This record gives sequence, structure tokens and C-alpha cells, in this order.
Amino acid sequence: MPGWTNDSEKRDGDEEEDEEVDDSGYKAVKDAVIFAIDVSPSMLKKPPNSSDRKADRDTAASAALKCAYQLMQQRIISHPHDMMGVLLFGTEESRFTETVDSGSASTLNYPHCYVLTDLDVPAAADVKKLKSLVEDEEEAEKFLKPSSEPVSMSTVLFCSNNLFTTKAANFASRRLFLVTDNDDPHLNDKALRASAAVRAKDLYDLGVVIELFPISRGDHTFDRTKFYDDIVYRPVSADPEAPAPIAGESRVSVSGDGITLLQSLLSNINSKAAPRRAQFTIPLELGPGLRIGVKGFTLIKRQEPVRSCYIWLSGEKPQIVTSSTTKIAEDTARAVDKSEIRKGFRFGGEVVSFTPEELAALKNFGDPIIRIIGFKSLDSLPFWAITRAPYFLYPTEEDFIGSTRVFSALHQKLARDKKFGLAWFIPIRNSHPRLAAIIAGEERLDEDGEQVMPPGLWAVPLPFADDIRQNPDTHLIRAPNKLIDLMRDVIRQLQLPGAKYDQKKYPNPSLQWFYKILQCLALDEDIPETPEDKTIPKYKQINKRAGDYVLEWGRELEIQYQGWMASQGYGQVKPPGKRIADRTAEKGPAKKIKAEDGGTTSSAMAKHFQKGTLASLTVATLKEFAAEKGIKVSGKKADIVAAVEEYFETKS
Amino acid sequence: MAEKEATVYIIDVGSSMGEIHHDRTQSDLDWAMQYVWDKITAAVATDRKTLFMGVIGLRTDGTDHLDNLSADDGYQNITIFQPLTQTKMPEIRKLTEDLHPSRTNEGDAISAIVIAIEMITAHCKRLKYKRNITLVTNGTSGVYADDLDEIANKLKDDGIELVVLGVDFDDPEYGFKDEGKKGEKAKVEQSLRSLCDACDGVYGTMAQAISEMAVPRVKSVRPVPSFKGWLTLGDPDKYDSAMVIDVERYPRVMVAPAPRASQHVIKTGIDLDATQTGESATLEGEGTGSLGEGISAIKQARSYQVEDNEAPGGKRDVDKDDLAKGYEYGRTAVHIDESDMNIVKLETKARLDVIGFVAQEQFERHLGMSRSNVIIATRISEKAAMAISAFIHALFETSSYAIARLVPKDGKDPHLVALAPSIESDYECLLEVELPFNEDIRTYRFPPLDKIVTVSGKNVVQHRYLPNDELMKSMSDYVDAMDLSTLASKTEDGEQEYAALEDTYSPMIHRIKQLIAWRAVHDSEPAPPLPENLIRYSAPPKELVKAVERKLEDLVVAASVKKVPPKSKARKRARSPEKPLSGLDVSSLLSTTHPPRKISRENAIPEFKQLLRTAGGAADIHSACQQLGLVIASYVKHSLGNAGYERAIEALRVCREEAIELEEPGAYNAMLLELKRKLLDGELGEERREWWWRVRMNPVGVIDKKVSEFSEVEVEEGRKLMTLSGP
Repeated sequence: MPGWTNDSEKRDGDEEEDEEVDDSGYKAVKDAVIFAIDVSPSMLKKPPNSSDRKADRDTAASAALKCAYQLMQQRIISHPHDMMGVLLFGTEESRFTETVDSGSASTLNYPHCYVLTDLDVPAAADVKKLKSLVEDEEEAEKFLKPSSEPVSMSTVLFCSNNLFTTKAANFASRRLFLVTDNDDPHLNDKALRASAAVRAKDLYDLGVVIELFPISRGDHTFDRTKFYDDIVYRPVSADPEAPAPIAGESRVSVSGDGITLLQSLLSNINSKAAPRRAQFTIPLELGPGLRIGVKGFTLIKRQEPVRSCYIWLSGEKPQIVTSSTTKIAEDTARAVDKSEIRKGFRFGGEVVSFTPEELAALKNFGDPIIRIIGFKSLDSLPFWAITRAPYFLYPTEEDFIGSTRVFSALHQKLARDKKFGLAWFIPIRNSHPRLAAIIAGEERLDEDGEQVMPPGLWAVPLPFADDIRQNPDTHLIRAPNKLIDLMRDVIRQLQLPGAKYDQKKYPNPSLQWFYKILQCLALDEDIPETPEDKTIPKYKQINKRAGDYVLEWGRELEIQYQGWMASQGYGQVKPPGKRIADRTAEKGPAKKIKAEDGGTTSSAMAKHFQKGTLASLTVATLKEFAAEKGIKVSGKKADIVAAVEEYFETKS
Repeated sequence: MAEKEATVYIIDVGSSMGEIHHDRTQSDLDWAMQYVWDKITAAVATDRKTLFMGVIGLRTDGTDHLDNLSADDGYQNITIFQPLTQTKMPEIRKLTEDLHPSRTNEGDAISAIVIAIEMITAHCKRLKYKRNITLVTNGTSGVYADDLDEIANKLKDDGIELVVLGVDFDDPEYGFKDEGKKGEKAKVEQSLRSLCDACDGVYGTMAQAISEMAVPRVKSVRPVPSFKGWLTLGDPDKYDSAMVIDVERYPRVMVAPAPRASQHVIKTGIDLDATQTGESATLEGEGTGSLGEGISAIKQARSYQVEDNEAPGGKRDVDKDDLAKGYEYGRTAVHIDESDMNIVKLETKARLDVIGFVAQEQFERHLGMSRSNVIIATRISEKAAMAISAFIHALFETSSYAIARLVPKDGKDPHLVALAPSIESDYECLLEVELPFNEDIRTYRFPPLDKIVTVSGKNVVQHRYLPNDELMKSMSDYVDAMDLSTLASKTEDGEQEYAALEDTYSPMIHRIKQLIAWRAVHDSEPAPPLPENLIRYSAPPKELVKAVERKLEDLVVAASVKKVPPKSKARKRARSPEKPLSGLDVSSLLSTTHPPRKISRENAIPEFKQLLRTAGGAADIHSACQQLGLVIASYVKHSLGNAGYERAIEALRVCREEAIELEEPGAYNAMLLELKRKLLDGELGEERREWWWRVRMNPVGVIDKKVSEFSEVEVEEGRKLMTLSGP
């Protein structure tokens, strides 16, 4: 599931200032999607009955509806402020949204276009409606009635045009998703074709992107050149030798090869779920005088549940409360105009202030750039050298012609020799300069050949000395070789599939649970009892595959530990874990391997207790011990000593 | 909490300190004060109440110090400028006035040290303190050296550290020797050095202290665990075969914040607006307290609204007390009682639970998405220490990383982490970074970099987007030649890596700190230059660049990168009209099916753009803008509430953009001002001022000379034009 919001929501205060990029000017950094589904007899044709469990059961139209339903739910999670509408075309009935604009002379009429859900931030009711259509065939049939005469594509496009311009006037991204199996809607009607092309041009001029999701049926392969190549625009289209644009065309969805039409369509739509937006476009300097252009993307970012908000309950139905702030002077509480505001730093109990020009100069460490200052071996980059999720870099020819080939050469070189570039990195004007490790990431595909991780360079922001914390003290007791060897056996047993981490297998359990509950509350449904959590280890498997090895390791640990204790001059120490001892007695020789305490501190504590010298220890030591043993302590030292004494008394 | 500290600075202000020596441009005093101010401002910046500082002037014109030491016992010409106290801005201001060269060279440094000892003893009594006396002098007046042993013993007994920093003092260790020194000065140096030796103090030359200032101070933070609990393999509640190790987790990397600017206003005296804040407003803001003369902090007054189509402006204020908590599900408000808020939370138990292991070879480093942490065995169990050591070594020997599920505290959201072994000669730990969940990855697709699949589906291996053999080779040579490991310097501890992370400093943090301190002490003097240390790694090392010059030239030739001239970027549209994938000439279709004539309400923006494309000259452009203006006016006039405002502003934006590009800013400006006139004349309907306010909030204002060189509107004039009361 892709995407997350990029809204200008307040960010946590402890993050670095000025780090987020907003390169979109004033336009609302929002995305509006109209999901348009062709409702024609062929789209409604049931697939042939089959005994195969994996065979298609959905008509193309209902598969598309399911996709729309899923996309809507997903967008509520990932883009809670973005809009989505569902438009059916080719229907017998027509319906357009009630107009918010009283100036239209003529009532707008789009024959055979049926606006199922208005273009808006989805409401619970919209989700419910789609859900009922997806789950209830009879309900769906009411809406999915194809008209007897064909719909004009220019009407569909103009209808979308109107929805976008009235509902999402200034959205930075507006996209029309077209799901159809008809590659030539206007066969030989030249006039209709031309007017569709003209309406498509209108959408292009508006900045609306048409994403076509073609469906092939049976032996008929969808041919874009018949009609849709006149409708769809892409930035570089003049040169047939040009590489397919980065935002590649969706593949044609088909059923077969073990995947259903629904799965195929879902996968295609998922890859377009989030509009792609570069975070920055800056030069990458390989050496003095050699610069190429790169775009930076945020491909990895923690997606969090929405924050709680205020709700006003005194009205007819609960309403979301928006808040606005005004800046006021603390002393007089008068409202302050922006031009009056001065910035300064608290220092020595006062404010040391700077003029805006001085502040700007202070923060200016030069123009945004990635300047490579040299290369090092990847081995020399410690695992801990990271401060946040990296940026993904991909070349652009916008500012420097030839960037792509140079980037490619660098990428291949770094990947092959396992090197990284050390770079001075200012992603956006006035952002804090950092050093970054420029590392090569290779393309990763899934089983179906779909790209999971794109090929490119990654800029990993490195810590400065200021950011590196000192390691905490430890008590280093190096494990004997035998013990290590036994643990190696355990590790060998428990390799993840392919010995690699695949994030696709792990949805965020708390995020999913949050939205599941929220959805149930919003739709007035029963709340499920147990959450699905794929991040919980497969305990049964672990026990089966590695249990015996762990037990053996545990026995060896006990032996080695006793040996070590003896060598240090301590006597035999019984593992004090009471609970575990009980269990051991019940279950025979098998013993829980618990490398918990039993060390000097514990035994020393016991000695202090016997000698009655607990009070000679520091409060910190006592507290640490108490915390370890789960003894509740509070108050003065005497109280803590008493609590620890009580612990030993009840224990013996 | 950090230890209490008491520091007394003894600063020689004798008249000889006002002289300039060697090839320096500053007087001895000014030069030495760089060091002292650095120390003082660093202490002030901590804002710690337990950092006490005192300042004694040595060789002052007058005498003003402790009552019990009489001036005629050799204690004359010494002044206590500042008793031991927390230093703040007023103290700094006073010190900048006090510390000037005097007219005398009389005054005994040893006496000043005695006074400093007395001050510290009186202040600290027997309490736990870090005690320090720092003497800064050029040593040109004699010292009374008879009681040195006694003083040294006193210093040692009281645990006071003595630091003596001399201007132009000889220091063979640092490698400084001032030739042609007068006998007197050498003697002073000798006395002070033996005093330092006797009390285990620090004796150094000022040049060294100042050169060391160039290394930024890094604040050290005491490690605080963010998780204490079990590292498990298997489920100990269910299976006896589960591994359990008691561990703790500490931050390894934590981005240090730069000082944050706060907002404030200059006080304006009594203000009649003072009572004008709404009742539902609540105050938010940083801590209170005086900020100095004439400055007032800024707070936020927050008010709450709900949508209400009947209210003017479509919004109505609501009282904060009437509000409940909940969440947005899409645009639906879901109310959840405060007591039920946990319903959306996943129930979790604190634990670090291993899921499985992956090969280090296959681990994608760019998946790390957080700062890093270390995991160590709990410090009170040797058994845990031995167990985790086995785990770390086994990971290392199998070249594996562990993938684990971490819940740092009961009820917290689980995260997935990668655990990597780290083994040094005297330290072992697991290193940990967070990994993305499925939802955290944006699935943007990008084409491969080593081959090209064309629009027509062909697979191409030779293309201008692909490097040829020559480029590949010169890139490889260049990267190899630019290897920074060749710059590693040899030191006593072995090889010193070039640009090791521990030697890199945050430019922003230290620059801001430097300038705050500078401004605090030097008021309005121009800021000092950026210290070299902060930008050392902003460019490749010079020696390396020189060495690889030829290789870079080869690479530049092979790369043959051409910069796109900025003009052609902006005028892209003018070159050729965009075409659909098929290359169909829609423009010619347009001119036959929909000849552009008039801009309609329903399809205004595309029609406007198409009209401009057929525009012959300035008159056509003006007319198109004017027509669009009529449509915009109608959007606003017929808007229900504010429903049509955004659409009107979007049309303005497009019009403005086109006008700038076509170098006809006047056409836009005329249209915009006509709209303003209509609004003022009430032609756009009632209560449309809010729309104008939105216009001003968006960058769709009058195009001034700064935006377009073809504009006739001055910046200031443009600003005035945008106000409704303006011309």
C-alpha cells in the first residue's frame, strides 16, 4: 500500500527545522482522482464458470468497482485530505453533482455519465455506498445498467473537466483514472473522435493527467493506438526512441496465468495510487566543473495514523472543528502583524535579535547541491551512520543534457565496486547542510516482475560529531567459541525467505488496526476482536525448527556461565528466576533459557542483605536493583532499603 | 544533573595588554579575550543556574576586592569585576565595559590568584563543586614568587584547577618560542609554570588555546535507555525453547538541534487593541519571562470554527468547552469518548522479538529509515552479557542481520528493526535501525538505468541516455582516483580516516551559536567569517582535486554534459504545442471544430490557453485576459458563500503565469485591477472582501518589476495596489 500525506500538517517539534520541502508553490499539495468506470455489456459479462479456485469470478466492471472501493479506503489512510470521486459512464441513467455554482445558465447535462460519488474527500457514507455495491450484486445491478446507445467520450471527458474545475480548482495533482475494455469507442465516427481529442486537450491544458487502465478480454488485446493515443499526453512523446517516461503507462490488465483480472487491475492501480512528486531538483556535482541534474524523492517515510481532532457535537451531526491561530503580543495581548515580527535567540536571559537579512545570511551555506567530495569503500561506512530515511535520487535532463548517462555510469560503478560517495548535501535552500553517503540501490522486482524498489542512488544523511552519542558502558564478557557455534546453528535455522527483508510482507499492524476500528466506528459496523498482526514472529515454526538448537545453546550457556563465575571467584549461583524454576519442575528437564541476572550484583546484593549493609549502597544502585526485580520503590533512601530488605525476606 | 561549577577568570588588563605584538592586528587583551569570551558565552548558552563565574581584573587602575586583604600587602591594582554568579546578558554588558587596558602595569598575578581562591572558598564552602581559576596575562609585570608552594598546596587541597594562559609564553610542547624576550617576562613565565606544575594545573600559551577554539565544542549527553526488556527468540510464554536475554537500548545517533529562533515584537506602549481577543481564545507560547528591554514575546491565540453555510463566511466560532475528541475518517467526524480513546490502539507488550535472519549481503542499506540505536545486555547480569556476546558473534560469523519486532514500552506501536553485530576490541553491541513497513514505501516506478525500453517497447543498449564504454571507463577511473582513503593521515593511534564522522561538525549549529555569542558580546559589529572547520567538507580536498585533474578532464569529455540555457526552459511552451501520444495535431482540429472566440464559464482555462496560442499580438493577449477577467468576476459574483473562490483564484494564477511568460504583464495587471474596482463598486455581490483577502494570500498579485522586467509597476506600488484601501 503506497503513499502518505504530504500536507503541511504540523510536524513534531523535535525534528529539524526547514527540512521538509514544499516545491509546489502555493498550490494545495493535494491530489484529486476521478475513478471512471466504463459500464458496457462487455464490461458486465460474467467470466465463464470454472472449478478452478483461482479463476475469475468478477465481471470487469465489478473488478473495477472493487478496485475503486479499495483505493478509496486506502486513500483515507494514506492521503486523508485528498479527493476522490467515482464516475460510471455508458450507463442508462445520468446523474451529475448538484451544482454549487448558481451562475450556470444552462443546467449541465452529461448523458450516460453517472456520478456515483462526488469528487470530494471521501465520507463514511461514500465508502459505505461503494461497499454495498461491491458486496451486494443486486444493489450493483441497479447502477450498472448499460445504455442502449453508446456514450460519447468527449462527454465523459468534459464531465470530468467540470468536476475537477468546480471541486478541486487549485489542486496540484488532478488525475482521471479510466478503466475500460473498449479500445475504440467511436469506431468510424470521425467527428466524435475529434471532439474527444479536443476535450482531452482541454484536460491537458488544465493540468489533468489521464491514467488509462486498459483491460483485455479473451483473445482481444487492447490496442492503445486505435483511439487512446489521441487522448493521453505524456511530456516526451515526440521522439519514438525516447525511453518510456518515468511515469510509465499502466500495463494492460488481463486475467490468466493464475492471477485474476481483479489482482491484475489492483496491482496496476496501486502503482498509480500516489502521484509522484519530486522533493527537490538540484545539481549533483561530481567534481569541479562537472554537474548533472537529479531529482530527489522521498520514497520511504513512516506513515502515521491521523492525529485526533476536535469534534463539535452540539449540532445535528458531529462536525470536524478547524482551528485558526492569531499571533498576539504576550504583554498586551494585541494582535501582531507579520511585518512586526522579529526573530531572535534566547541567550543569557534575553533575546539576541537579528534582522531578517542577517538571519537569512546566517542560514545561507550556499545553493542547494549534492557535491561529492570523494569516495570511500562501503565497508568503512558504519551501520549506525544514519540520521533519517534517505532520499532517492534519479537523473533529470531538465537542466543538464547528458545527466542520465553520467548518472547511470556512476550508479553502475558504485554498485559494482561497493563504494559510496561522500557528499556535501543541501537539498533545499536554507536547509541545514549535512554530509550524505551517496549509495547505489539496485532495482528489485517481485515474483510477478513488478518493480518493488527502483534503481537509483540514495542519499543517506549522515550524523555529525554533534549527533553521535557516546556508547553506554557495558560489561563485556566475550562468549566462548562453543557457545557462539551453537548460536550459529540457531541463526541458520531461522533465515527469512530468500534471506532478505521484504517490507511487502509486513503491513504496519497498529496503523491497520487504527483504521479498521475507525472505519467500523464510522460505518457503524461491529468492531473486530483480534487484530491481524503479521509482524508477530511465527513462534510455532521457530520452536519446531530451532527449538532444540536453542535448548542446547541454553545448556551450554549455563555451563559456560558457571565456569566463568568460578574463574572469577564466585561460588555456584542458582538462577533466581522463581517463575522459571517452577516451570522447570513441571515440565521436566527442558529449561527456559533465560540469561537473566544471577550475577555479581544480585549475589552481592544478597550479601549486603545478610550483612545488613544495604544502606551503604547508593540510591542509584538500590533503585536499579529494585527496578530489575520489579520491586516498587519510592520515597527516601530508608524506604528503598526497606523495600529491598522486604524482597529478600519474602524470597528466602 | 551536571555538577556545579565555580570558575574565576583573572584577566590582566595592564596597559601593556593594550599593545599589539608580533604580526597580530589585535592588542594582547583583545586577542586573549577571544578565548575568554568563548568560554564565558559557552557557559551562558547552557543557561545553567549552577555555573558560577567570577571575573578579576589584574593591574587595574584602582583597587577593589575583598575587605580582609589590605591593598598595601601587594594586593593593590586588583579589582573584582564580577563576583561568583550565574552570568547573563547584563553581566556580559558590564564586563565589556570593564575590560579595557588600564594606565598602569602594577599588580601581582599571584595576589590575584589568592583572591580568586578566597572567592571560591567563600562561595563553595565544602560543597561538591568543580573549581577552576583561569589566569590570562602577558606576564610583563613581576610576580611575588615567595609563597608559591603554600599556594600550590592550598589549590591542591581545595581541589581547584589552575589554568594559566600566557600571551606569547614559551611552550615547547606546542612549539612556540618567543625570541628576544625580556628577562622579566621569562622570569614571570618560570614562576607561573612552576606554580602550575606544583598544583597539577595547566600551563599553556595563548596561541594554542585560540587555535583549539577552532574545533567546535560538542555537547555530550548522558546515555538514557529508550527500552529495557527482553530480547527474545521464540515465545517464552508458550515454548520452553525460547531464548530470553535482558537487554537495554540506547540512542547511538540523535540529531542535535540547532538553537531555535523565537519570535517577538518591539513593544509599542499602551495599545487600545489590547482587549480585542476573543473569549474562546487560549494562549500558547514558550515560557514567559523578561526578554530584555522593549521586547515582548509572541503567543498564539487559537480559535475554533465549524462550517456553517448560514453564517457569514461559511464558518462559525465555537466554544472550546463544547468540543469533544475524535478522528477524521475521510471527511466524516468520528467521535470517540475520551475514556474510549484506547479502542484504536493496538495492545502490545514491551519486547524485542526476533522474527528471523537475513544475509548481510542482501540487506539494502537504504531501507534504514531512522536514526540508529545500540542494544546491549543489561549491565547487572553477566549471564546476559555472555549470552548477547554469543548472539553478536554468531551474527557476525554468519554474516547475518536479525530482523526483529520492537515494542519499546507496553502499549507503544510495534516497529520492525534490523539488528547488526558490532565488535570492537573492547566493545560489543547490536546496532539497530528501523525498517519500513509496507505502507511506508511509495511505489513510484522508475525505468532501469542500464538499459532502455522505448515507448515502442524496443530494448535498446546504445542510447544517449546510456553511458558508452568510454564514459564507463573514465567514470571508473575518476571514482577510483577520488578515493578519500588515500588521504588517511597516520597518527599514533594508527590510521586517521579522512572526514571521519567524529571529525565533522554541524555547520548550522555552530555557526548560529558563534553568531549569537558574537552578537551578545560585540553588539552591532559585523559578524566574523565562517570558521574553516565548519565548511571543510563542503568541497573535495584540494590536494586530491589537483591529483585527479587529468582524470576529471577525461570524464568531462566523455560525459559531454550540456547545461540547458535558462531562457529556453521558461519559453518551452512557445516552441511547439504539446501533442498526445499519437502526435495528433489537436490544435488544427481545434481551429476547425471549436474556433476560439469567446471564453466560456465552464471551460475557461483551456479556452483561455487556446485563445492565447492563436493570439497575434499584444492586443489579442489583452483581450483574452480581459475576457477571462469577466469569467472570474462571474465566478465570484455567483459563488454561494466561498464555494467559487478557489476556482476564481486558479484562473487568476493561470492568467498571471501566461502573462509573465508572454511578456505582457500589463494585460494581467489591468484585468486584476478591474476586478478590484468591481469588487469595491459592489459589482461582485455582497461581502466579497474575503475573496480579495484570499487573492492577497496567494501569489496572484500585481506583476511588479521584480517578477517581470516588462512590468511598469514598482514593487512598493504593487504592494499598495493590492490593498483595498490603496489606489
